[in-house]
Amino acid sequence: MQVTLKVYRYNPEKDKKPHYDTFTLEADPTERVLDLMERIKGLQDGTLTFRRSCAHGICGSDAMRINGMNRLACKTLVQDVGKKITVEPILGLPVIKDMIVDMEPFFESYRSVMPYFINNDPPPNGERLQSPEERERFDDTTKCILCAACTTSCPSFWANGKYVGPSAIVNAHRFIFDSRDQAAKERLEILAGQFGVYRCRTIFNCTLACPRDIQITKAIGEVKEAIATGKLD
Amino acid sequence: MRARSIPKIFSFEYIMWLFMRISGLAMYVFALTGLTIALIMGARTQMDMGTLLRWTFFPIGTHVTSSDILVLEQWINPFWSIMQYLTIIFATMHGTNGLRMVIEDYMDAGWGVHVLRGLLLIAWLFMLLVAFNLIQTTGAV
Repeated sequence: MQVTLKVYRYNPEKDKKPHYDTFTLEADPTERVLDLMERIKGLQDGTLTFRRSCAHGICGSDAMRINGMNRLACKTLVQDVGKKITVEPILGLPVIKDMIVDMEPFFESYRSVMPYFINNDPPPNGERLQSPEERERFDDTTKCILCAACTTSCPSFWANGKYVGPSAIVNAHRFIFDSRDQAAKERLEILAGQFGVYRCRTIFNCTLACPRDIQITKAIGEVKEAIATGKLD
Repeated sequence: MRARSIPKIFSFEYIMWLFMRISGLAMYVFALTGLTIALIMGARTQMDMGTLLRWTFFPIGTHVTSSDILVLEQWINPFWSIMQYLTIIFATMHGTNGLRMVIEDYMDAGWGVHVLRGLLLIAWLFMLLVAFNLIQTTGAV
């Protein structure tokens, strides 16, 4: 089938403002949008710039706006988006070139919630044991690959980049509900602040955008509940 | 599985989040109370729809004095005065906090936010002052 790919282009060294280029190419319905982008870069326009690494939905490098929705180009099949495909960079972060955005504000928010294991007890001789139920409690939020598809689909984040965003909350959730961790209070205090969970308007864009199917809005709700009740189970 | 817990966190954002939900529900309760009691007191035959709705959303005597009500004391008494104060306080706080949230959705934590917050506080206090004056002069017994 013949596919038309309309691609957002911006080269700060040449362009005063962004524009769109249109490419036409033959594609199988089961090919991925990333395959088409690779083919354009390899055969039609070598200046097309985008991030990709594993190309199997694990590294989270190739999150982009495909037909108006945040997706991973490596997990989006042509048959799922049709013959006319529009590809744009994710919204809310400064565009560096074409599909490449500056991820630093996103990672700054991520770092602000202390997304790492904190336990000040002396290390035990063996492992820090945890029951299957305790592990299950935060299983969903361990799946985050930091692609930023959720955060950059959030209107609250578009309006104000200071909002920590769904991804940072998901990664805080992963440790808040970990029975071995001891810094839940500190994380919840950060998330109860001006740019924390209460900027969320529960519109579910993040949940729809997540390529790992994490129930993000549910996780945000659980963090709000933990703030209100103090219960971490 | 051992229970894990931390002390509850009462941040300003959490308290206002809670308040928005409680005040939103309270305004339904106030409006339905005003509407129901008005209908029991004879509003169905004594006043038109516009008057009834004005009374529902703010049960002050001046909203019904030009209608065909028979006993004015039923409509102007301490119970309705309390309802007026509660309606005004909850409605203006709900609206003002909604505006604060809109401002903070779009602005950083700089001085601009503090200025707008201050202006909003002044506007809210002014609204309360005007409304309390109205209730005192025309709505209370």
